[in-house]
Amino acid sequence: MKRSNEPIIWLLFGAGGMLSALVAPVLVLITGLLVPLGLLPKDTMSYQRVLAFAQNPLGKLVLLAVISLFLFHGVHRFVTTLNDYGLRGGHATMALFVGVATLLTVVTAGLLIGIGF
Amino acid sequence: MGRHQAVAKTYRRTQPVDWGRNVHRRRYMRREMTSVFLIAYALVLLFGLWRLSQGEAAFDAWRASLGHPLALLGHAAIFIAALYQTISWFQVMPRTLPDSQVKPASITRAGWAAAAVVSVLVLALVMLGGGK
Amino acid sequence: MTAQASQRTIRIEAMRFHPETDSEPSWKTYEVPFRDDMSVLQGLQYIKDHLDGSLTFRWSCRMAICGSCGMMINDTPQLACHAFLRDYMPGPVRVEALDNFPVVRDLVIDQTPFLNKLEAVKPWLIPKTERTPADGPNRQTPAQMQKYQAYAQCINCLLCYAACPQIGLKPDFAGPAALALMHRYNIDSRDQGWPARAEVANAEDGVWGCTYVGVCSEVCPKAVDPAHAINQNKANSALDYFGLGKLLAPSEGAK
Repeated sequence: MKRSNEPIIWLLFGAGGMLSALVAPVLVLITGLLVPLGLLPKDTMSYQRVLAFAQNPLGKLVLLAVISLFLFHGVHRFVTTLNDYGLRGGHATMALFVGVATLLTVVTAGLLIGIGF
Repeated sequence: MGRHQAVAKTYRRTQPVDWGRNVHRRRYMRREMTSVFLIAYALVLLFGLWRLSQGEAAFDAWRASLGHPLALLGHAAIFIAALYQTISWFQVMPRTLPDSQVKPASITRAGWAAAAVVSVLVLALVMLGGGK
Repeated sequence: MTAQASQRTIRIEAMRFHPETDSEPSWKTYEVPFRDDMSVLQGLQYIKDHLDGSLTFRWSCRMAICGSCGMMINDTPQLACHAFLRDYMPGPVRVEALDNFPVVRDLVIDQTPFLNKLEAVKPWLIPKTERTPADGPNRQTPAQMQKYQAYAQCINCLLCYAACPQIGLKPDFAGPAALALMHRYNIDSRDQGWPARAEVANAEDGVWGCTYVGVCSEVCPKAVDPAHAINQNKANSALDYFGLGKLLAPSEGAK
């Protein structure tokens, strides 16, 4: 029987799942609701503050981890669900979506480096 | 396939898998569907990061757009999905860990507690201007 | 003896299929006299004894230990001896052959797919070195036995296979019971068989066929928790994938 290559994506899926389980609600709350509704101090998400965060090495790591791992986690689950609904060619689809997630990870890294230190 | 031979004359029912069949399957689908919302949020952040790289005007415009009613509605939906992900993830997690004397329910509650603590910490960090 | 008032009955709708004559299943309805201590199995036995001797179904122990009488009862896989007519009053009770298996006749399914999967996981002790009677008893402590106790309770009733949507989608998936029994042997202190079973575990149709729907553990009448067995072995399989399989062989023997 052929060995499955699932472990690679499964580890990424697991990391993304743990990270999102811990921080997704609060991040969505802050960036998507509290700040736009003005319930936090005016400069919470100011250009200067966010730029400083993105230029900080630790901040870069956080942004890369959140964007990339959320994508890998979501993509794995989404394609699995497509398979659940009878989609044929599951492997090709998974490869495609994981490829896109990888590409977007590279784009994120590129943007973070481009923003400077 | 194996040394057991299948019975010759049988009937194979070919109904497609019914994901609405029972409460367990419905719960599973709801859980898995949170994935779409997490992808959406990652893309929102990526877009914001891109606007950040384009300078203050671009970033401010993006931040302002987050106040649009549709954006608020969308993020409210994502928030509910994220909460559901947190709750269900720690319900599942004990059964991905090796057998132990610790009750699965205890691990679940510890996970939820950790998420609550992390959330408070992040909120504090953001508000006190230390990190994000 | 109390005077017999009008006897309460309950309607049982049973799936019928005779391969000699039918191209697909049909339903037959029976009115069965009801007592509140009757199991669904007893209802079927009444039908066979008094109403329709051609109704075919497996049964044996009547006490949820042999695993013979698994069937779909109102869309849920259950042991017929373990489900009670009183819980379905006023009825009807719909009884079908277990999902996800070929139907041989009426409520009897072909277990062959499962039997082959079970043999594939080598459900027997595989010690590092062969033992003979001269080696004496193969001892283990109560704590070591406790480790795999729950997973050893499997009665091969196949309710978990009927419940599992992934078995429905991918009939070659090894499935809950086979993988739970694989785990039972892997964590037995007298066994060092992870390498021998790894090929099955690591395959697409091994542990990676599971998406943790979790219904298997919900329907298991013996609380085996196959969902836990499978999903903790994803981590093991991942370790194995990255060349750390050596960590998975437990140390040999009891003290």
